[in-house]
Amino acid sequence: MSDINIKKVSYLAKLALNDDKAALYEKSLSEIIEWVDNLKKIDTEGVKPLHNITEKNQNIRNDEVVKNNSTEEILSNAPEKAQNFFRVPKVVE
Amino acid sequence: MDNNWELVIGLEVHAQLKTESKLFSSSPNQFGSDPNSNVNFIDAGMPGMLPVMNFGCIEKAIKTGFALNFQINPYSVFERKNYFYADLPQGYQISQFEFPILSEGHIEIENDNVLKKIRIERAHLEQDAGKSIHDIDPKYSFIDLNRVGTPLLEIVSYPDFNSADEVINYITSLRQILMYIDVCDGNMQEGSLRVDVNLSVKKPNEELGTRCEIKNMNSFKFIRQAIDYESKRQIEVLESGGKIEQNTLLFDTSTGETRPMRSKEFAHDYRYFPDPDLLPVHLTEDQIEKVRPTIGELPQQKLNKYINDFNLEKDVAKIIISEKSYAYFFENLISSKSIKPKLAASWLVGDIFSFIKEKNLQIQDIDDRSNKIIQLLEMIESGTISSKVAKDILVEVLQNNKEPAQLVKELGLEQVSDNNELEKIVDDALKDEEDNIMKFKSGSDRVLGYFVGKCLKATKGKGNPKVINELLLKKLNK
Amino acid sequence: MTTIKEIKDQLSNKKISVQELYDDYYNKAKKSELNSFNQLLEPEYNKQNIINSQSRYDEEKDLPLDGIPLGIKDLFCTKGIATTASSKILEKFIPEYESRVTQNLLNDGSIFLGKNNCDEFAMGSSNETSFYGPVINPWKNKNQINDHLVPGGSSGGSASAVAEKICVASIGTDTGGSIRQPASLCGVVGLKPTFGSCSRWGVVAFASSLDQAGPITNTVEDAAYLLNSVSSYDPNDSTSSNHKRDNFLEGIGKNFDRPITIGIPSDYLKDVSSEIIEQIENTKKHLTNLNINFIDVEFTTTDFALSTYYIIAPAEASSNLARYDGIRYGYRGKGDSLEEIYVNSRSEGFGEEVIRRILIGTYVLSAGYYDAYYRKAQRVRRLIKDDFQRILKDVDFILTPTTPNEAFKIGEKLDPIAMYMNDIFTVPTSLAGLPAISLPSGLSKNNLPLGIQLIGNYFQEKNLLQMASLLEKEFGFNG
Repeated sequence: MSDINIKKVSYLAKLALNDDKAALYEKSLSEIIEWVDNLKKIDTEGVKPLHNITEKNQNIRNDEVVKNNSTEEILSNAPEKAQNFFRVPKVVE
Repeated sequence: MDNNWELVIGLEVHAQLKTESKLFSSSPNQFGSDPNSNVNFIDAGMPGMLPVMNFGCIEKAIKTGFALNFQINPYSVFERKNYFYADLPQGYQISQFEFPILSEGHIEIENDNVLKKIRIERAHLEQDAGKSIHDIDPKYSFIDLNRVGTPLLEIVSYPDFNSADEVINYITSLRQILMYIDVCDGNMQEGSLRVDVNLSVKKPNEELGTRCEIKNMNSFKFIRQAIDYESKRQIEVLESGGKIEQNTLLFDTSTGETRPMRSKEFAHDYRYFPDPDLLPVHLTEDQIEKVRPTIGELPQQKLNKYINDFNLEKDVAKIIISEKSYAYFFENLISSKSIKPKLAASWLVGDIFSFIKEKNLQIQDIDDRSNKIIQLLEMIESGTISSKVAKDILVEVLQNNKEPAQLVKELGLEQVSDNNELEKIVDDALKDEEDNIMKFKSGSDRVLGYFVGKCLKATKGKGNPKVINELLLKKLNK
Repeated sequence: MTTIKEIKDQLSNKKISVQELYDDYYNKAKKSELNSFNQLLEPEYNKQNIINSQSRYDEEKDLPLDGIPLGIKDLFCTKGIATTASSKILEKFIPEYESRVTQNLLNDGSIFLGKNNCDEFAMGSSNETSFYGPVINPWKNKNQINDHLVPGGSSGGSASAVAEKICVASIGTDTGGSIRQPASLCGVVGLKPTFGSCSRWGVVAFASSLDQAGPITNTVEDAAYLLNSVSSYDPNDSTSSNHKRDNFLEGIGKNFDRPITIGIPSDYLKDVSSEIIEQIENTKKHLTNLNINFIDVEFTTTDFALSTYYIIAPAEASSNLARYDGIRYGYRGKGDSLEEIYVNSRSEGFGEEVIRRILIGTYVLSAGYYDAYYRKAQRVRRLIKDDFQRILKDVDFILTPTTPNEAFKIGEKLDPIAMYMNDIFTVPTSLAGLPAISLPSGLSKNNLPLGIQLIGNYFQEKNLLQMASLLEKEFGFNG
């Protein structure tokens, strides 16, 4: 079997998988990882990773304020809000 | 430290940059606005939104690079630090990881007249997160995204600190430099500067111990308390045979203790990767060099100038450079070169500072009085008025914005230096003072002071103390 | 009367009014049972747009796409109109902003019929992962006439609607083939422009270094019309290219005034069916009239393209989809703690394929695996890009099949990897960021459309469209 820690991966991704689902996804993942493992066969010694296909100069902006969006617009789709805040269950740090 | 324990501390200082707009969005970079009013769709992590880099932040970083002796990296990359939290709308923070903009800097701190070099490993740009308010409702927490995307420069030191004093010194110097170069406003109450303290203990010649990180400190007082508490805690654990668990801690200001943040399994796998929505930063030599002249004089340079060129006492000079606004005010006072720096300095750190402290003002609040203060100091310098009179006039200038020359004229406060006039006063003062004259002749210097005081009183403070002193001595020594 | 040029002529000559045109398409769309729209806009919504469009025609001041009814893939944020990405997690999301691409289309006078169905978050090659149910291909396998076939994906709704002619054209997105592959399976034209041509601002992000908006149309000329509208520099998208755009209509139907070389990669044709080989041979035959030189070329990286893609795309997606957490918009699952809300919103809001890709992406970025997978894939990506550049030195275009197979039955391919294999010919181009167009070349023995893909060099869309238009004429394919 694979060494995929499905519990860790799903925790990091904030996804809840019951035991059945976890097993299914773990199997699926290991098959896919095995499939993509063929990359091991290609020699990439000394090859620089490609981050951006458009290898041009960075797009920059001057330090200026452009009218931002209103509080109403920002909160308009919020499932739960109160007095111009987003509302969530109490977080204990 | 007790029992031979050595304290080893490294610091991560997060400085909010003083720019108009945020790092990757053009909403205002402002503190204290109504909740969720400085937020745009990019900050809120709405679907399809994309970051665009604010070049002003790069310039602030380059400035910092020059001021802190960093190597400025022309190539740097923004990466995503992935984790979930209510104040992090995108589910990732855009930061720099493998290729930061600044590397290998240092500053010197002074402790008991000994200089120590603190090495700084790196500094990088990153987004700040929003704010969660946890304590106004028993059931809910409330999220304000105003601060999301505010530009931060995270400055990471090597673990070169061995005491709380060194830590405080460093943060003070760092803050001062950043304020001087206009990169950060240094307002710690507002969270413009926040410090994570990484602390471990060890015995000499031993390997570094396991460290704990105390997060998000923004008060000198509490930083010191936290270091004291945590170092004692770790020592206790180790001395009783236990092991230190690597933990992220919060300092509870009400109890004075550190406690672990809610431990999260697998929490620290941030899965950094270069942000595909952004291109790498490629700075030209021109772009970097252009920033150099904008830095101006740094605190250390001013300190040297004040001590060596202006002949100020070290302590006095230190007070003046402690805030850029003080230095600015001071240099303004002496700009016309009609006043000796030493004179201006002593009045500034003496009476003027006392005044603003007492009235709870900022030095900037009396900026409009500068010219009148200069006038006053000129009159002192030229002997037109005595120091005693000057003190009173100063209060009138600062409090009521009165003009010194006018006051002196109106109230006839010119210093009296005329020998003849003063000789009469001195003669009067010495009349019927045979006992005291005897005391003086048998070696009591204090009596001289008494006589000077008596003469000054008789002149209503206007007498020139130097001349009075000379005349008294002449007559007493006859 | 189905091409944009024909329609515009009819409108200009008052043979039909904008309202009549709209009603015609709206009614057809309403009657369609192929589920190619997540949302059909109520006519009332478009009333003013239609009036304005008609005025412009009346004054002979019509805009390039004036009055043309379009479908918009439900991945583009359309202001005031629900944008769901075909996902439960965005079911009720109404953006307060318009994407750059759709704003361009509105600025050119087009009318939006509605939001096209697609695979959830653009993840899929058959439009079977949509929360709103699968889309059905208008084409039928003549030997299995009752089967519902997939239209391809992820822009399956767009391709199906265009093929069924219930909208004149649609704008989709292509990440690994999501425009070209459904275009091929539905017998229509689909173009993926060079990465950086069209702004990604306001497009629900799947894989940031690969996503590109592009037209799905009945003809190559129509694709040129749409590309003229949607290809533009956007300073709000840091990956947007700031170059001068050609008029993409300029070359349509014109012969090239110089000899053209087209490369056919033998490695692409290694394991394909004889029918596909025949397709390519057929294409060559059709082009003998024109001054075209065909040469055999060979990539060294083709075998690694799918792996590279299925590491990079899920990795970027896992991060791009982290913002869907039930806090600021979208579906919120129940929970007594923040953690519960995250987990329930996401686990209940995302479908199976999306979850699968988020898990893959999270895994390949995680500590201990980043170098072996993500970083390795980034290196191979550079090799793929260089491989294309090597070959494009000697050829003007590269010709390949678009898909390894014709449209298959809905529900037939259950294995993820079998599904991923659908992208085998389209993924390499996506990784290299090159422009590519798929156009229907003929029918299979089951009477289903087969498409061929033409690949050009960076920002050579005008030439690409020109070549495709010549091919189109030769094929004489009649959907």
